[in-house]
Amino acid sequence: MSNSPVITTHDLRRVFEARKGFLFNEVVRTEALRGVDLEVARGEIFGLLGPNGAGKTTLTKILSTLLLPTSGTAHVLGFDVMKDALKLRPRIGLVLGGERGLYNRVSARENLRYFADLFGVPIESRDRRIADVLERVDLTEAADRRVEEFSRGMKQKLHLARGILHEPEMLFLDEPTIGLDPKSARETRKLIRGLVADGVTIFLTTHYMFEAEELCQRIAVLSKGRIVARDTIQGLRRLVGGDRTIEVEAYGFEDAEVDRLKRLPGVTLANAEEFGPRLRYTLRVRTAELTHEAIREALRGHDELTVRERRTGLEDIYLDLVEEEAQ
Amino acid sequence: MRPTLASRNRSRSLFASLRLAILSFVADPQWLVPSMIAPVIFGLVSFELFKGSGPWFVLYAILGAGMMSMWGQTLYGSGWATGQDRELGTLEPTLSAPTPYLYVVLGRVIWNTVSGLLGGAIVFVVVALSYGRPVPLQDPLSFVLLFAFVMVSLASVGIVFSAAYVYTRYAGFVQNIGEFAFYVGTGCMFPVVLLPFWSNPISLVFPPTWALDALRYAAIPGYQGLPWGFGWDLVGAVATTCVYLAIAGTVFVRVERHVLEVGNLSDY
Repeated sequence: MSNSPVITTHDLRRVFEARKGFLFNEVVRTEALRGVDLEVARGEIFGLLGPNGAGKTTLTKILSTLLLPTSGTAHVLGFDVMKDALKLRPRIGLVLGGERGLYNRVSARENLRYFADLFGVPIESRDRRIADVLERVDLTEAADRRVEEFSRGMKQKLHLARGILHEPEMLFLDEPTIGLDPKSARETRKLIRGLVADGVTIFLTTHYMFEAEELCQRIAVLSKGRIVARDTIQGLRRLVGGDRTIEVEAYGFEDAEVDRLKRLPGVTLANAEEFGPRLRYTLRVRTAELTHEAIREALRGHDELTVRERRTGLEDIYLDLVEEEAQ
Repeated sequence: MRPTLASRNRSRSLFASLRLAILSFVADPQWLVPSMIAPVIFGLVSFELFKGSGPWFVLYAILGAGMMSMWGQTLYGSGWATGQDRELGTLEPTLSAPTPYLYVVLGRVIWNTVSGLLGGAIVFVVVALSYGRPVPLQDPLSFVLLFAFVMVSLASVGIVFSAAYVYTRYAGFVQNIGEFAFYVGTGCMFPVVLLPFWSNPISLVFPPTWALDALRYAAIPGYQGLPWGFGWDLVGAVATTCVYLAIAGTVFVRVERHVLEVGNLSDY
């Protein structure tokens, strides 16, 4: 994997304006991106996570030349997304999720043929290429059926096929496995890994943490239009307080007990949640030395105490970061 | 001189769009009504209205009903196709391609023009069969050529309408309001000289006004249309059509830029 970045953005901002009111004279401004700085290396799968409305799709559309930023700069494969869109487009692919975006009255093959012509796929290899991508997404048997007969999952696969049809160097995937059954989603992830093995760089947005954890070398978390963290998963674990997550649950805690928990070596208190009469504290633990016995000792007197441990997952990291930003 | 890669891609996109328009047309039974059934009905009704008025009035029946079917198919169809791109969500992936969207629109407009001509031809055949004798034409060759040119002039307006559909999802609303005024104002149903004098300058802004008047001059002996006659009608038709095509080329570049600025491509 080369270290030369294929995506660089600097202070990227995007403001949407909507006109409201009886005479459309009231302008409502929404800041979707608020100064995004990003670098994505060639050949990596870069994951972008964030809650709904965080600005993920806005950023994806700007990078794939479907939207202009309000200010700041963005370069993809060395091309300025604002000035060199027509040169950049043949070299990138975009997969926007959902049921829309396809010509429903014609077949999957005809949809692909149309876009192959629009993207300038060489005529002599066009039909073979269409057959290849249909096979890659497991749609060969349905190739000549009208898209209106397709399930949501099949449409999603066809979106993916269209995205890779012209053999892009860089592929933007906006929630590529949404609507897919577990088997198809797994095959899609396999396909994504295969594309990376072929040298394609992937920019992936997803709500599925396990998917990002399984696929992405590096992840950025976008919240309210800002990148709040950007690192490898290991680096993000360190950022939120450690590899280990220990959940401590009991029928309520004294303030002094909570203080003792906080003072344990290598512990960061992540959050507290109520479960009926029980209260659960989630601890992020940086050190391997802290034992469950030490925790039980700090909370002695709780017969009904439960202590559980797991490895800090991406979902934990994500929730910590997004909640911290929300506060 | 060999075509460049860019121009080859553009012509490929145009033909791809034309092909998809034909496939979508064939696949969608709703198009049978405006393209095949409506012209038959228009032709029969129009013939019934004009049949007692003498042989040359058969041509009024053909032109009125023919324009009625061609007008909708060509002009409305061209704009509507882009509106449908919005509805289907295909505007975004189409605009993410390296080809300017104008060439996609041109492909569709060509098909709409052809299907509009087909509608006009159906009207001609229906009226001619109902009349039971050869339809009198002053200058058959000019009539056929101008018939086709009227379609081109309608298509040039259709392209500009398509740009409006790219610009905003509300274009259909505006087009629906302007539909009847445009239809009457350009002389599709009856000559514009029958309209109030003050409306003529507005009518002359649109290429079909000139082309339709020229067509009537070519078809009907003694026709009293716009005062400058057939020759200047023809010049005006060609000139305004060229102006509209030039406007479309410029407008599309600006509209594509505008929608990327506004970010309303996925709205429908």
